[in-house]
Amino acid sequence: MNTKGATTSSAGGTDGASDSSSAAKRNSKKPKYSRFTQQELPACKPILTPGWVITTFIFVGVIFIPIGLASLFASERVVEIVYRYDEGCIPTNYSDQKLAYIQNSTTNKTCTRSLIVPKQMKRPVYVYYQLDNFYQNHRRYVKSRSDKQLRSRASESDTSTCDPEGTTPDNSPIVPCGLIAWSLFNDTYGFLVNNKTLKVSKRNIAWKSDQEHKFGSDVYPKNFQSGGLIGGAKLNASIPLSEQADLIVWMRTAAFPTFRKLYGKIEKDLEANENVTVVIQNNYNTYSFGGKKKLVLSTTSWIGGKNDFLGVAYLTVGGLCLFLAISFILVYVVKPRPLGDPSFLSWNRNPSGV
Amino acid sequence: MSGWERVRPSRSRLGLNFQRGENGTSSSRTVRLGRVQPQAPGHRTIYLNDREANQIVRFKGNSISTTKYNVLTFLPKGLFEQFRRVANLYFLMISILSTTPISPVHPITNVVPLSLVLFVSLVKEAFEDWKRFQNDMAINNSLIDVLQDQKWERVPWKKLQVGDIVKVKQDGFFPADLLFLASTNADGVCYIETANLDGETNLKIRKALERTWDYLAPEKASEFKGEVQCEQPNNSLYTFSGNLLFQKQTLPLTPNQILLRGCSLRNTEYIVGAVIFTGHESKVMMNAMNVPSKRSTLERKLDKLILALFGGLFIMCLIGAIGSGVFIDRKYYYLGLGESVENQFNPSNRFLVATLTMFTLITLYSTIIPISLYVSIEMIKFIQSTQFINKDLHMYHIETNTPALARTSNLNEELGQVEYIFSDKTGTLTRNLMEFFKCSIGGDVYGTGLTETEKGGAQRSGIKIEEAQKSANTAHEKGFNFDDARLMLGAWRNEPNPDSCKEFFRCLAICHTVLPEGDESPEKITYQAASPDEAALVTAAKNFGFFFYKRTPTMIYVRESHAEKMGKIQDVAYEILNVLEFNSTRKRQSVVCRYPDGRLVLYCKGADSVIYERLADVNNDLKKSTRQHLEQFGSAGLRTLCLAYRDLSSNIYESWNEKFIQAKSSLRDREKKLDEVAELIEKDLILIGCTAIEDKLQEGVPSCIETLSRAGIKIWMLTGDKMETAINIAYACNLINNNMKQFIISSETDEIREVENRVSRISYLACFYLSKLHALSKMQVKKELKKCLEEAQHYFHVVSGPKSALIIDGKCLMYALDPSLRGMLLNLSLNCSSVVCCRVSPLQKAQVTSLVKKGARKITLSIGDGANDVSMIQAAHCWHWNKWAGRNASRNGYASLSKKYPELYKEGIRNAFFKWRVVGIWAFFSFYQSLIFYHFVTTSSSKGQNSSGKMFGLWDVSTMAFTCVVVTVNLRLLMICNSITRWHYISVGGSILAWFIFIFIYSGVMTPYDRQENVFFVIYVLMSTFFFYLTLLLVPVVALLGDFIYQGVQRWLFPY
Repeated sequence: MNTKGATTSSAGGTDGASDSSSAAKRNSKKPKYSRFTQQELPACKPILTPGWVITTFIFVGVIFIPIGLASLFASERVVEIVYRYDEGCIPTNYSDQKLAYIQNSTTNKTCTRSLIVPKQMKRPVYVYYQLDNFYQNHRRYVKSRSDKQLRSRASESDTSTCDPEGTTPDNSPIVPCGLIAWSLFNDTYGFLVNNKTLKVSKRNIAWKSDQEHKFGSDVYPKNFQSGGLIGGAKLNASIPLSEQADLIVWMRTAAFPTFRKLYGKIEKDLEANENVTVVIQNNYNTYSFGGKKKLVLSTTSWIGGKNDFLGVAYLTVGGLCLFLAISFILVYVVKPRPLGDPSFLSWNRNPSGV
Repeated sequence: MSGWERVRPSRSRLGLNFQRGENGTSSSRTVRLGRVQPQAPGHRTIYLNDREANQIVRFKGNSISTTKYNVLTFLPKGLFEQFRRVANLYFLMISILSTTPISPVHPITNVVPLSLVLFVSLVKEAFEDWKRFQNDMAINNSLIDVLQDQKWERVPWKKLQVGDIVKVKQDGFFPADLLFLASTNADGVCYIETANLDGETNLKIRKALERTWDYLAPEKASEFKGEVQCEQPNNSLYTFSGNLLFQKQTLPLTPNQILLRGCSLRNTEYIVGAVIFTGHESKVMMNAMNVPSKRSTLERKLDKLILALFGGLFIMCLIGAIGSGVFIDRKYYYLGLGESVENQFNPSNRFLVATLTMFTLITLYSTIIPISLYVSIEMIKFIQSTQFINKDLHMYHIETNTPALARTSNLNEELGQVEYIFSDKTGTLTRNLMEFFKCSIGGDVYGTGLTETEKGGAQRSGIKIEEAQKSANTAHEKGFNFDDARLMLGAWRNEPNPDSCKEFFRCLAICHTVLPEGDESPEKITYQAASPDEAALVTAAKNFGFFFYKRTPTMIYVRESHAEKMGKIQDVAYEILNVLEFNSTRKRQSVVCRYPDGRLVLYCKGADSVIYERLADVNNDLKKSTRQHLEQFGSAGLRTLCLAYRDLSSNIYESWNEKFIQAKSSLRDREKKLDEVAELIEKDLILIGCTAIEDKLQEGVPSCIETLSRAGIKIWMLTGDKMETAINIAYACNLINNNMKQFIISSETDEIREVENRVSRISYLACFYLSKLHALSKMQVKKELKKCLEEAQHYFHVVSGPKSALIIDGKCLMYALDPSLRGMLLNLSLNCSSVVCCRVSPLQKAQVTSLVKKGARKITLSIGDGANDVSMIQAAHCWHWNKWAGRNASRNGYASLSKKYPELYKEGIRNAFFKWRVVGIWAFFSFYQSLIFYHFVTTSSSKGQNSSGKMFGLWDVSTMAFTCVVVTVNLRLLMICNSITRWHYISVGGSILAWFIFIFIYSGVMTPYDRQENVFFVIYVLMSTFFFYLTLLLVPVVALLGDFIYQGVQRWLFPY
């Protein structure tokens, strides 16, 4: 205010003149009425009265419990077989030196196991692999890819973001470059039922948007896994990236260190108590960092895979809301409190408190 | 203890009443409040009308610049100002960090918002500066007549130089501080309006030195040669000392000859003056120096909050960084941590990894401190003040056509947290419509009628009072509400003391500084007075038949009726020899005049305390009865003044006058010397009587005060009135009532009075005893304080004890404000719900205000209208400067506060909506919410999410989580709204919608730029699953359930 006072005082020279001329014009300084400036806009005042609270709880409960029941029911219908094989597929003589076993290219990695189908599994039966303690979300890992290169052949040499798997030692670009592609999962699964091979389809296991837009149909693998250190699977250099479904799935990096990725689909029903023989090529090294490997066979419902959490959560929240509503009603009945009763106000409850 | 430093000085001097000016002691005491520019040693010598002679000294030009920047300095200086804000600096650092490779985000995400914020702030600064610049230009280029070669030449103000002779026409503004030389008015007077300096619209009179009256015409003026020796430029508006060396004579200059820049000329055709101080050296500009802006408590708290947030951020980042240092290991071969790995991931140097990751994380989480916070708050405040406060129809006063005006938007939110209101009485609680109501002449009381205070008191005690029939011949006009036939129309001649009456009326008609305006007839004349009291007194004299109708600098003309003999009307001219002006330390005003028959009389009027000290030791009965009347008037809520006179013999007068002239022409300490000289003649006075003026209460004040006190706001009334008056006004406006325990600390106690009497009896030893008196009084006050404090604390221990009130007078306050007693005073006053300080000086008002502000760390609001309140106002956090009409704003403002439950307001005082506890609850719930987000989104996304069995990736999960966050946060905002208008719906719904629109577009297109296409199609992938919708419904509900239950339970069982 201080400065203002002073400046206006010196400003008086000009203000004075304009004052008299426009005095008539702004005769009335009465502010114009507007609902906004008078803060009289129509408004609702959401006071959380007991009535409102109880209504809200009942409302939430009534909505949530059916949803919860539906989700839980859908989840219950899903049949899921999870089989951990990383420990079991190590021959007993290598059990002390798993790393040596997995890194040795000459050892036999084939491992045959049989699984019992607990309940009928309607087709399609989805085959997943599940890795554990694998940080696909690590910053260094996530960044190590070149979307440009994956998308178009013209950007083949665009490997600046792919370090350290960008180029071969002689500086020719690796396609697909980067750590993600380099560490492509390379265990394979074969399935036999009654000694008949079940076909594992790789069609439509990747999101369509990835397949069509992120991976070019004219981009072919080049110099891939040609270095001294092999990280994972090799790619058929004659198939364009857009057709390399396993790569596309792998490269949609997972959010958490424990993740599942779709391996393929079995387009055949599996009957209850059927014996499924699985032939696993145990190639992928999770032993150096102590990661688990699991094979998962699962059907789906409208909610997706087996997922009790959602249903349970809905049921719990719905139930809790109903419970709260009931207890609030009880309190209301036992100890009613008229709204706006001033005796409840803080300065009345505790006269000396302020 | 920052409070004391924050008391701002620069305008404190402005606060002193202009016309009452020259108040040396009090202004020099006001100065102590804060920074005052030290007087540069030596004098300034100005050669008038001689540009060459002045050239050597190189005075500053008259052009001014109030801009903060120029074209070159704008960017660096403006940016510097912006980056002095901690938040902006923080974001600058984040932006710099984000350009380095350690940043996980693109620099754009930080640089764009920061630039936007800076851009908006800079545009605002530039706009304001541009307005200032235009203003300066307009001022600098306005034209003024300057004497050049015997002619008036019109030149722009900026060309003006020190020593120039200028002509200022009627209604024109003075271009610089001028020495007043000549005027077209007779007797070399002119009238000026100082509204721009102090807001007072009444005209002030200025008088040129007699020797310079003739230099009016340009031909004559060009012959003027003189030399001014004066003080160096300073910021004291009401002082000036200098001498004019003219025709080999030294003429003393007073503020009376100085016309300050910023004032304007009224009722005068034109004046001629010489420029003394120019441009930035003019007094008004010296006052406009750098003023620190008031920062609100909210803002300071916000700073602390940001600091706390930063602490939280730092801890989060530290944990993350240590974690990443521990995590990194070559065993994760898929991370490619070979020998040539960059530092941030090099497992061989974990410490470096942690350090670099720390920066990465800080960059990543930087948004925990919202960048737009300050800008948003500023915008909100701006809109609040311009749209809500200024346009509030409840605060609009129709009669005076005045809307509310918030002068600064900085302190809006403080208004809701005010706990202490410091109010002036006059003009704020009362209407400042002074009416002559009663008087006591020669020991007889005249005037019937009851004051509002009396009526109010009677009402409280349940007595019905019949409105007394007004006598037929009541003369009632503005300023005069007197009803007693014994004094009217010459009837006083039949009273026991007609001579006293005559003196009484003459004193009223002569001893004042009022200017008559308009027609010289009793009906049409209007009086221009510095205070309405004076006008009321002169009006009273008029009604008694002593009509003051004309004033010249040396004469006062009074048309006296019935003075010599019944029915005779004659014009009498009194020669005014000396005027000893009023100021707040003297508390009195005297005029020495000579009757046409040669009689020399000193008329004096002033506060009873000062007059009684100076009375001659005669007629003690009269003194006693008058004192009784004074108390009686005081308790009726009337303002009293004592009138006295003294006959002077010419030799006493002559010898005194010499000293007076000497004092008047001294360069140093002139005011002090003048006061001392005044003391010499203002003694041995003979008491005539006293006047009582009613100051009517503002409408609705009592109920308003009651409401405020129910709201827990403590009201302090700081007034210059005497204790009885103050207490009665306080009673009248419900500030005090009979249920309250009253603590009165007064200097009028017997002990103190006794000490005083003893001292005054042996006045030659006064100096010695004065210090003793001080010590004694201090002891006494200390004792009183202690007693009251103990009593008060005792009362407070009894929980249901009555409220208490403290009444203290200025003298005791002076001792109580002493650092040793200050704490005790504070303790006592904080225990009282209302405090009345009477007889306080403006300085004390400010001291009391800062005492509470600093000592109790509470938010204070000062209300005042008069110039004498300015210092108090500046010391407070907020102020309500009600000028004349503004009073209504306050009244209406009060009215709108009176809600059904004023106690609700206590919440605001307790700062309940922004307490750390509240912050903690918010933090707790947001922590809970983030747990919900994380847990629910992750747990449920570990399996296939739709019937196609495909899996979500990192970006799908995070986009889903973020969508949940956006929805939840917006709904949470809706939940805390107390009232929801459609604008709330629009903004909340719009925010959610905007996110979806953004993500639809952002993830829907492939850009040709080199970016990772991680988010491509993510939202569509999500929306192809039922899972997404189920989560989107579940997560916000669960996240808000906690808040909802908390709020519901609190509303129900533990309401505020």
